[in-house]
Amino acid sequence: MGALQPAEWEAFFLSLRVAGLATALVAVPGVALGWLLARKRFPGRLLLDAIVHLPLVLTPVVVGYLLLLLVGRQGALGGALEAMGIEIAFTTSGAVLAAAVMALPLIVRSVRTAIEMVDPGLEEAAAVLGAGPWRRFRTVTLPLALPGVIAGLVLGFARSVGEFGATITLAGSLAGETRTLPLAIFGELQKPGGDSAAVRLTLLSVALSLAALVASEWFLRRLREGGRP
Amino acid sequence: MSSEFRLQCRLERSGFTLDADVGGGPTVGLFGRSGAGKSTLLKAVAGLVQPDSLKVTLNGETLVDSAADVLPPSHQRGVGIVFQEHRLFPHRTVEGNLRYGAKGVDRALWSEVVELLGLGPLLGRRPAQCSGGEGARIALGRALLARPRLLLLDEPFAALDRGLRLQLLPYLQRVVQGARVPLVFVSHDLGDLLAITDSLALIERGKVVGQGPLGSLVETPEHLDLLHDCGLVFHIPGVVEARDETGLTHVAHDGTAEARILCGDGAAFPVGAAVDVRLRPEDVILALPAEGGEAALAGQLSLSNQLPGTVTSLTVGAARTLVSMDCGLGVPVLAEVTGRSVERLGLRPGAQVMAMMKAQALRLRPRSDA
Repeated sequence: MGALQPAEWEAFFLSLRVAGLATALVAVPGVALGWLLARKRFPGRLLLDAIVHLPLVLTPVVVGYLLLLLVGRQGALGGALEAMGIEIAFTTSGAVLAAAVMALPLIVRSVRTAIEMVDPGLEEAAAVLGAGPWRRFRTVTLPLALPGVIAGLVLGFARSVGEFGATITLAGSLAGETRTLPLAIFGELQKPGGDSAAVRLTLLSVALSLAALVASEWFLRRLREGGRP
Repeated sequence: MSSEFRLQCRLERSGFTLDADVGGGPTVGLFGRSGAGKSTLLKAVAGLVQPDSLKVTLNGETLVDSAADVLPPSHQRGVGIVFQEHRLFPHRTVEGNLRYGAKGVDRALWSEVVELLGLGPLLGRRPAQCSGGEGARIALGRALLARPRLLLLDEPFAALDRGLRLQLLPYLQRVVQGARVPLVFVSHDLGDLLAITDSLALIERGKVVGQGPLGSLVETPEHLDLLHDCGLVFHIPGVVEARDETGLTHVAHDGTAEARILCGDGAAFPVGAAVDVRLRPEDVILALPAEGGEAALAGQLSLSNQLPGTVTSLTVGAARTLVSMDCGLGVPVLAEVTGRSVERLGLRPGAQVMAMMKAQALRLRPRSDA
């Protein structure tokens, strides 16, 4: 099997970076959307719900292609983005965006379920004690839903690490820029004699996912013991 | 402290109309059967339910007026609620709960509330580690420390058994007597309400059908059945004078009658304690006085209290008649009898009767105005 090659380390760190950035990018919108869908009734709610969850049911290649049509150089927003000096297609930003869009529904689902479990009566109690909407969310809803929020973020992170279809469609497989672990594994498997590299990369992927799961479990346990982190 | 408030609320939901108008203060006891609209009224006043129209005034100042578009959101309304289920924040300590609405509270008020409600030993605990009675005290303290301009208590003791309620009432009495805040206390138990206030509002099917002290409410025939269902009781204020060798507690009253009230339920009250003797009109038996003032057969009955009196009024309801008597106890004595008995004994205003009460039917409570 042998030691990890520099290109393999590169894929590993790129994966970590892309997944971390993607999760960070959708953390706030994901929590906001989860709260909106759990607590608010407004026209277009069903449609919003459907759009957010679309990447969950669409094949990732289609999601990647839709994103390409949207932010690619020839895409709907491509010109505007280019004018601002932002290039997304076939860059690391593209890999981050693809992973983020794929992770979003998982985060929203998890946050929404967690917030629906929080007794609205406690939010009412906070309101009559003088807490405005933002303070109610910050001090009652979010802390009580936190285990679900963290579980959602971990799920989103793991999904980002594993993202393949949308990434390769939107961002290609450029070494050091968009070639994350799954893309690198796929690339090695295409090469004659790439098997041992593929095994090394696979073990790396498993280790990364395991570490994320263990970290979240540790955090949740602390949360349960202390009530608050 | 003069704190007069008035709550006017109208709300229509499928099959239910709430159309309530309650005024008074500083403390009003709101009572009625379950489902009469008591909780809905409180939630509307606090802004947790959107009514069709709402007006809340306090000492002449308008807090809420939907007609004038003055509808501040709950957190800016200055109306506090203690909920039946207490709704303590499970992720905060008791102290964290108390501090939640207590921004800018000075140390004096903090210690006063903590001491008043006996919360000191609980501060470091989580709500899950507190009993139901402690939960009620924490919820009350949390609401007080938010310094509301009007405090609504939505049956905060309803989920607790009678013994616990009895322990909690003195805490609430102290809060009321501090008159820190005008208060609406909702209950379906008349006895609990009377321990707090004699200013009552009677709500039935979404409407406030009567308001005033119990003595005036019982004079309306239409209210009798409802009052009976809510556990109609009346109080005779007094002071524990002695406890005899048979375990009976002798209570001196404020009236002119020489007789003491003998009560079987007084072990918890020391001599000298100010108490309310609480009894149900259905536990009072009426008899005609025989020669010499005593009731016929009196010596052969297991009745500790036999008081001569004069009938002052009769309220004839559909299923029962309430007889009000002056027995020289300082307050009227009420007896619930059947129409048949009224006829047989010839009861009418001015008639002389003996009111007889079993010592075991009398309950003592800490006095509400002591």
